[in-house]
Amino acid sequence: MSHEAPHHVAPGHDAPHYLAARVQRALAEDERTYELGIRVDIRGDQLFLRGQVECDERRRLVAAVAEDTAPGLRVHNEVTVVEVREPGEEEAL
Amino acid sequence: MRIRVAAVGDVHLGEDLRGRYRRRLDGIEERADVLLIAGDLTRHGTPEEGRVVADEFRDLPIPVVTVLGNHDYQSDAEDEIVALLRDAGIRVLQDDSTVIQCGDLRLGVVGGKGFGGGFAGKCASEFGEPQMKAFVRHTREISELWHKALKGLNTEHRVVLSHYSPVKDTLAGEPLEIYPFLGSYLLAEAVDAEGADLFIHGHAHSGVEKGLTPGGVRVRNVALPVLRRAYAVYSLSGEETES
Repeated sequence: MSHEAPHHVAPGHDAPHYLAARVQRALAEDERTYELGIRVDIRGDQLFLRGQVECDERRRLVAAVAEDTAPGLRVHNEVTVVEVREPGEEEAL
Repeated sequence: MRIRVAAVGDVHLGEDLRGRYRRRLDGIEERADVLLIAGDLTRHGTPEEGRVVADEFRDLPIPVVTVLGNHDYQSDAEDEIVALLRDAGIRVLQDDSTVIQCGDLRLGVVGGKGFGGGFAGKCASEFGEPQMKAFVRHTREISELWHKALKGLNTEHRVVLSHYSPVKDTLAGEPLEIYPFLGSYLLAEAVDAEGADLFIHGHAHSGVEKGLTPGGVRVRNVALPVLRRAYAVYSLSGEETES
């Protein structure tokens, strides 16, 4: 018994355009990530992730969700962890 | 005589970040008179994350005022999160106002999460399907409440605190296509009608810090990925802003 999705997969369904959109949507909606600001680009069999997250673990999870959503693609995790510096000078308004 | 306003947004706290933000707040009372937090306190919007937020910001030596962001609604636990924050002594604005005494001056803070819809000439309208009408009506009703709250404030200084942006200026760097989901000009219109010293917002992680409403109110996007520092400090001084 197959556990594959029952819907018919039309030709072109896995065009990079749609696959990138699915990965971006998964990053926003998967409870492991809930990341809305990650850019996803696919070139050939390479998937590129760009953006910022708050810590190393969240950076790792972004790649994990992308790999689960687009198996077979090589994921390049270019997401960075936000570096938070000391508060700077005040601005007089 | 001045009031120093510290501000940050989009801290997206969770158990994995417990304790990390708190240590960045050491000595904040030397730098600021009040801390404003512009929403997206959590990532999943769960009560558990709400407790982390409450613990990170409780018992600070200066008053803390916050609004919620869209992430704080994700688990339908926003009321519980608000209660947790209030139990920790944090003031939570929900389309209303609060007044903080800073020495001889009073700072009025008006706000709430805000919402989207887009910017003048390129925005959604209350037209067509009920879902579209509801989307735009939500923002309009919020802006009306803010207008009313600002009108009722008789303080020397006034700041508006929101999660969503009132202007496009501070969205520069975000994709143009998502501007309608990042803010609404209706928020700016309400504030320009009554005047304010400053409009603080977050939400636009790829935006820029500084902008201006059409009426000349300074806008600051304090999303943590934009600031890249623990918080910004804005010093309010000069003439009274009462209209």
